[in-house]
Amino acid sequence: MKRRGSAWVEPALGYAFLAVLLTIVVFPFYWMIVSSLKSETQMRSLISMFWPSPIVLDSYRQLLGQTDFLVWFRNSVTVAVSSTLVATAIGTIGAYSLARLRFLGRGFMASAVLITYLVPPSILFIPLYAQIRGMGLADSLAGLIAAYPSFTVPFVTWLLMGYFESIPEELEQAAMIDGATRFGAFARVVLPLAAPGVLAAGLYAFTQAWNEFLYALVFITDVKLRTLPVGLASFITGDVYGWGYLMAGAVLTTLPVIAAYVYLQKYMVEGLTAGSVKG
Amino acid sequence: MDNRLNHLAEQLDAGRIARREFLRQAAVITGGTAAGLHALERMADAQPKPKLRIWLFKSFVTAGNDVLARHIEAWGRERKVDVELDWATFGDREPKFVAAIEAGNPPDVAEMNIYGPMRYKPVLRDVSRLAVDIARAKGGMLPFAEQATRVEGKFLGVPRYAMISVFYIRKDIMDAKGLKPPKVYDPDVIEFARKTQDPAKDMWGFGQTLNRSDDGDGFMQAILWDYGGGTWDKDGKPALATSNLKANLAALQFSVDTIRKHKIQPPGVMGWTDVSNNEAYMAGKLVTTNNGASLYFAMVAKKHELAPKTLLILTPGGPAGSFIGSSCYNWGIFGKTKHPDLCEDLVRWMEDESRFTEYLKVSVGQAGPVYKGRADNPYWKSDPNFEAILQNILRSQPVGSPGPITPAAVEVQAQHILTDMAGRVVTSGLSPEAGLKEAHARVDEIYKARRA
Amino acid sequence: MPTTAARLPAAAHAAPRVFDARRVLGSDWRLGYAFVLPIVALVLALVAYPFCYAIYLSLTRKYVGVPPVFVGFDNYVKLTNDGFFRRAVANSFIFTFGSVAVKVVLGMAMALVLTSRIRFRSFFTGVLLIPWVAPTVVSALNFLWIYDYSLGVLNYLLVRVFRLLPTGVGWLSEPYTAMASVIAVNIWRGFPFFGISFLAGMKGIPAELYEAAAVDGAGPVDRFRFVTLPGLRHIVIIVLLLSTIWTFNDFQIVYILTKGGPGGATQVLPVLTYEIAFGAQRLGEAIAVALYMLPALAIVIMVLSRYMRRGQAR
Repeated sequence: MKRRGSAWVEPALGYAFLAVLLTIVVFPFYWMIVSSLKSETQMRSLISMFWPSPIVLDSYRQLLGQTDFLVWFRNSVTVAVSSTLVATAIGTIGAYSLARLRFLGRGFMASAVLITYLVPPSILFIPLYAQIRGMGLADSLAGLIAAYPSFTVPFVTWLLMGYFESIPEELEQAAMIDGATRFGAFARVVLPLAAPGVLAAGLYAFTQAWNEFLYALVFITDVKLRTLPVGLASFITGDVYGWGYLMAGAVLTTLPVIAAYVYLQKYMVEGLTAGSVKG
Repeated sequence: MDNRLNHLAEQLDAGRIARREFLRQAAVITGGTAAGLHALERMADAQPKPKLRIWLFKSFVTAGNDVLARHIEAWGRERKVDVELDWATFGDREPKFVAAIEAGNPPDVAEMNIYGPMRYKPVLRDVSRLAVDIARAKGGMLPFAEQATRVEGKFLGVPRYAMISVFYIRKDIMDAKGLKPPKVYDPDVIEFARKTQDPAKDMWGFGQTLNRSDDGDGFMQAILWDYGGGTWDKDGKPALATSNLKANLAALQFSVDTIRKHKIQPPGVMGWTDVSNNEAYMAGKLVTTNNGASLYFAMVAKKHELAPKTLLILTPGGPAGSFIGSSCYNWGIFGKTKHPDLCEDLVRWMEDESRFTEYLKVSVGQAGPVYKGRADNPYWKSDPNFEAILQNILRSQPVGSPGPITPAAVEVQAQHILTDMAGRVVTSGLSPEAGLKEAHARVDEIYKARRA
Repeated sequence: MPTTAARLPAAAHAAPRVFDARRVLGSDWRLGYAFVLPIVALVLALVAYPFCYAIYLSLTRKYVGVPPVFVGFDNYVKLTNDGFFRRAVANSFIFTFGSVAVKVVLGMAMALVLTSRIRFRSFFTGVLLIPWVAPTVVSALNFLWIYDYSLGVLNYLLVRVFRLLPTGVGWLSEPYTAMASVIAVNIWRGFPFFGISFLAGMKGIPAELYEAAAVDGAGPVDRFRFVTLPGLRHIVIIVLLLSTIWTFNDFQIVYILTKGGPGGATQVLPVLTYEIAFGAQRLGEAIAVALYMLPALAIVIMVLSRYMRRGQAR
């Protein structure tokens, strides 16, 4: 299991590719960190370009002490986690149903889910806002938790339909012959196999929710209910940008999630048990 | 106290009956006796206060935002009204307003920009009486403010202040070269820039983008006027490539030449957005630029070393004079509000001179006068650079000039048609004449759509 | 009759014999309907209704705050004849396909790297996902600095550090470099998603297939071609489709970096939609801009999804 997939890329080549990818990915982020540690005057000069001297921590201190950053962070966590749970749960059972179960209208529904992903979000938010308001959820985090699955569920479903279809149907049939119900076969045989897919889909939904800007801007009017992207954008005032706050806020918004990803990635690998694939 | 009344109050507190029902039943119980009325008043006081949703412009003058919030909250306490404030800045405002209006959930009061009264006309309350009252107390309204807030004879906004673009000059460099401030773009600004710039050191004489941005569109609008042209004629009909063609051609040619022929602008200027010239100026890369008071505020507020070395002057002009597009922030009251009287009371409260002066004093020249009386405020003498801001505001004219301000004129600015025209000529090799014709077709289309 | 039954599963449920229901509605209809119900409810309430309303609005002359006036296909006809709109369509396609093509390649490279024998794999996976997690608004602003002619680190590196160019480049100020620059940011933002999806797909390919191929004497390239790629086909198609749609609808990056400039050279449909909706306040036309390319995209998706299903059946 551990050796699988490693034989066809020589380690040296692997590291070379990795170095290239890391440069592409890390440099702009490194630049964000460097900028967050510079004063505005330092940002506007070409002196001590790649590492600030002196290092200025004011942005972080003020961001945490004098703004609502922590409140926004809590709001973002609440919204992203809740909406991800909702979207992943709905998407997983829906995808299983559309991929595997036989019932009338399945093909049509599968296509319909596909098509919904085509709908441009840039225009949906106006009628959607009216809907959310009609449900009494305007200006509340619940409104965002309800709205976000509208753009994450189609993807989650798509992704998982693919996963479920790639899992040999014989496994379920074997379980059902052994006396499991259809639901039991799904819950105990198929779902564990699909764990990497579910996790990937969940991460996708989480990230989309974590970064969503337009709905959060429009649906929320209470300053204390803002999420991080909208909160950060509020450091832009007209044509004057609070660069230090923006960059420091972006770093603090990104790092904890990356840390979580490092951990979840392990979980993802563990979720795929070689034994069950070999069946 | 009557037990029945206590019981009733408990029910009200628990949310089992509505306030109106409480009052009705309470009146029955107390029978209108003096003691009863007193009890009634006391209980009604404890009831939920009316609530106003107020949307404000999140200005770069953060100290001003604090003053604004403090005054509104003080009003809320004084009048026993709950106030909910929400802030948004330039780009974020429009989606919020549009979604709220379309979902039937607009705020009660909003601080709008110059386009607000025209844009949200169908859902705004007529505030003529209020606007006239306030203007009368302040020596009358300045013409540009009246043009911006009065739509089809009715005031749909109560003017608050004007922000304007001025011409920024590095005074230290000007003095070192023994130069005088420029009065017109061609040849004054060109020569001034040539003599002061040093491209080898990445120091440029002039920084004015022609890219899609408020800065770029504001400049293009003004330069057409400077040469005697403009997008519109006196009757508000499109004139870009018709009756104004010759003047516009000269203006467009000049704008393009600053980049391509005279090379007095930094090579990246066509990629600038609104923030770029602020940053380039503060980085010491520009000798001159056009910008609103925001740049001066940013430098003064952060004690930037260039703040004392900066001279603000009237925007330079052209053969036909020197023009500038006006600005007018104003209070709008939405028609759906349940508390129009409270809204009007709030606007009066905020426009009270002592409160406004407190706001003005932290604004670093951002809160320009919209009423005659405010132009005389001694604040405008407190910094020599404010004179240019003040005078530029007093001579400013609204979008659509020399015709009336129209929805089509607002739209041409919002869709960046003039900067697309300049951008096409600068970067795609289109001739100025072809650029004007192309832009004219788009303007014409907007004009026709808006008349339909 | 079957159509009615499909619309009204409850009525079928009340049918006297279960056998009938199974025959008409399919063998797994109970669990099937129960499992799709949440999606159907969500789609109807939060996507279908707003979407239908949007389609209706695109057939009207609709200004903000005023009731719509039905005008049929006027908005679409007008757009068809509008050169500026056509340029935005072309830009949108260049932006989308330029970006998606590179994202596939980088995503595949990322997945291969992360399945190869390297140390600290989980750590690197997390690190490579940074662009996808960082808030887009600020990422784009960060690139605004990086691209800046005078103060940006890109020109600093090219001119002063590596001395590859005599003078800097105005990255966002010329049509071609501006388009390339916004595409680059979209690639940066989006390729980790490809990588992680492909990675998950590769994990699902049974090891025996690789072992069998190795026994047959297949080298690394052949194993990639004949084992990995076919095994990933499904996920590649899905990710390609989604990313195409997603890139096509990307608004923030272009809006923050260029606002569609210079001279409309990077004007893409979502930014145009935004400008017409909120700048011009003409909602009907704005939605028509957003929906104009929908049928074309829908056809592509239908064809590909059919291909995908047929591939699956084989």
